[in-house]
Amino acid sequence: MHELGIAESILGRMKEESMRHRGARVTKVGVRIGELSGVDPDALSFGFDALSKDTSLEGAALEIDFRRRVQRCGACGREFETDAMLTACPDCSSQRTICIAGDELDIVFIELEDAACA
Amino acid sequence: MRVAVEEKVLNENQRLAEELRQCFRDHNVFCLNLISSPGSGKTALLERTLGAMPKDAKVAVLTGDIQTENDARRLAVAGFPVKQITTGGTCHLDAKMITRALADWDLGHIDILFIENVGNLVCPSSYDLGEHAKIVLLSVTEGEDKPLKYPGIFTKSELCVINKIDLLPYVPFDIAAARDNARKVHPGMELLELSCTTRQGLDGWLAWIYRRQQKTAGALAGT
Repeated sequence: MHELGIAESILGRMKEESMRHRGARVTKVGVRIGELSGVDPDALSFGFDALSKDTSLEGAALEIDFRRRVQRCGACGREFETDAMLTACPDCSSQRTICIAGDELDIVFIELEDAACA
Repeated sequence: MRVAVEEKVLNENQRLAEELRQCFRDHNVFCLNLISSPGSGKTALLERTLGAMPKDAKVAVLTGDIQTENDARRLAVAGFPVKQITTGGTCHLDAKMITRALADWDLGHIDILFIENVGNLVCPSSYDLGEHAKIVLLSVTEGEDKPLKYPGIFTKSELCVINKIDLLPYVPFDIAAARDNARKVHPGMELLELSCTTRQGLDGWLAWIYRRQQKTAGALAGT
């Protein structure tokens, strides 16, 4: 349950971006969360709303792009999205696959109100 | 107006972890990060590990807990430097805590640094501590499906240690299924089975540490 800390980091980055744009209101932040990142999207949304309440960031939307795990097969090179439990290659059944994506925890974009950035 | 950011949420932790990694490289410190549920035997494994090290070994431990200095007291018995990090509620260690804890230690006198993370299979997996490898422990009094339930940490760990195997006759733990589940989630992961009580398998664990340490040193010499 470290989603509160994660939400705090995201809100901090939003505040920073707002300052860079003369205090423009932040309307939305986009984050990318992989299923292996250890972050639960619902808990993150809850923490985000709770921490932004009664601050200048209240009402800003949190857009979560949830990513599945991606494996690459060492035998045939196929890349495939997978359920976290099944890592065997769907083409050649090789067990020799490695995880190449799915632990993302990134801030992708921040949207600000246009008015203040003229 | 949309501003493209494209950076890690834990950017600051990542920056500090890279600093730690560089620092370990500069001082030839080999660092392992031990992660498990509470009660899987991280402290017991470290007690046995320290007890098996030569008296002049340059080994040290940072041990993390939410509260109490109990683990540091247990580990200090072996005579090596040990420091407790009490997080006061935080469910994981982060790079800043490690940097702070190492500030008054001379890294020139440390060859192997063990970090015992807070007992938790979820949150510690998100925080890079600059370590060379993460090791996940699982004990036979837990479920053999732990790797399937917590794929994040089992995917990020190089080694899975199955502990308390002396209890296998008394518990319904299916060790073959546990191995299978670990490999399903992370095909390349190494597996070791041991008991801190009977010491069975400890030689294999110590051999793994030295082999991995040499691999790190070799990689450095090659660069």
